[in-house]
Amino acid sequence: MTRRKFVQKLIRAGSVIIVGACWLAKKAAPRKFVRAIGLNKYPGPLKPLGDIHKKSKWSG
Amino acid sequence: MRLELKVQCELCPKRCLIEPGQSGECRVRINIDGVLRTVVYGFPCSIHIDPIEKKPLFHFLPGTKILSIATVGCNLHCKNCQNWEISQANPEDSEATFLPPERLVAVTRYNHYPSLAYTYTDPIIFYEYTYDTAKLAKEANIRNVLVTAGYISSEPWRELLKYVDAANIDLKGMTDDFYVRVCSGTLKPVQEALVLAKASGILVEVTNLIIPTLNDEPEQIRELVRWVKANLGGDTPLHFSRFFPHYKMRHLPPTSLKTLDMAREIAMSEGLNYVYIGNIRSKAGQNTYCPSCKKLLIERSGYTILQNRLKAGRCPDCSKEIHGVWK
Repeated sequence: MTRRKFVQKLIRAGSVIIVGACWLAKKAAPRKFVRAIGLNKYPGPLKPLGDIHKKSKWSG
Repeated sequence: MRLELKVQCELCPKRCLIEPGQSGECRVRINIDGVLRTVVYGFPCSIHIDPIEKKPLFHFLPGTKILSIATVGCNLHCKNCQNWEISQANPEDSEATFLPPERLVAVTRYNHYPSLAYTYTDPIIFYEYTYDTAKLAKEANIRNVLVTAGYISSEPWRELLKYVDAANIDLKGMTDDFYVRVCSGTLKPVQEALVLAKASGILVEVTNLIIPTLNDEPEQIRELVRWVKANLGGDTPLHFSRFFPHYKMRHLPPTSLKTLDMAREIAMSEGLNYVYIGNIRSKAGQNTYCPSCKKLLIERSGYTILQNRLKAGRCPDCSKEIHGVWK
């Protein structure tokens, strides 16, 4: 093997390792979200819309 | 294919790393199969008509009623929370009503209420519901009001502010130590949210709850007031609110009227023009006075307006323009 071919193989192998490492890092990192998607299913009990004119017991 | 199924919620400065099937600190934003989902979108636990003065907003459409909603959950865990039964509740244990944004706006229009408030817990944690509703409300000429602790990341905050008309934002203390110990938050993001809200052009009112022994020293109050004046302006309405023993702070006494009066005096001596006292009956501390000629402009008793002398947003005696949204 000539010296030039050896260097080419070395560069190719290095590139594959770097691309692979980047892919792995991306897939292994948590996905980031600002907005969440609505679930359309409430996990707790549901109640009908009551009397909205009733005085609120909450502050604010 | 993903090797990591954890998700990171970047809505608020806590940036919770959430395992599959788990929720963030707010209890309502959940990782389902590597996707962040909100379980409270369209499911408020509280819907009421309140006087706008209850928010409290004293410089925004005084004397009007406001449709007010909240879902369960909160990204802060204030030990003194007055609404802890909903703010610190799990959605599984709390009743809610199905009320998607279109229906919520329709109810507001049908009842001819001029504005909608996202309040009681913190609209930050039901961000998507607030955002979509506020956008629809704006199109229907309904104003949007936030009552919040302002603990949110800058980017979503800027986006939301485009549809907001007024906000009452808590400034709970002036040290990180206070925010960490009492609220499980930090100070800087709140200050940034306040400055961004002011810069966006909406009406901003600030509330500071004075808790005996924790943030009631004159120097602490002076520091807060100076920060408000320097960063939000002397016309920013500031509400000093009375603490009552609640939740995990039942061992402390309610704030005395003397302390609240002292805070108001400090704020006015530092150059704030509109300083109020809340959660307690106080003659002078609930009225609006002209900062120029000192005459009474709006007289209140509790949440009731006894008289409003403003003429087109100006003092009728000296014509000074009064900061606010009056119609």
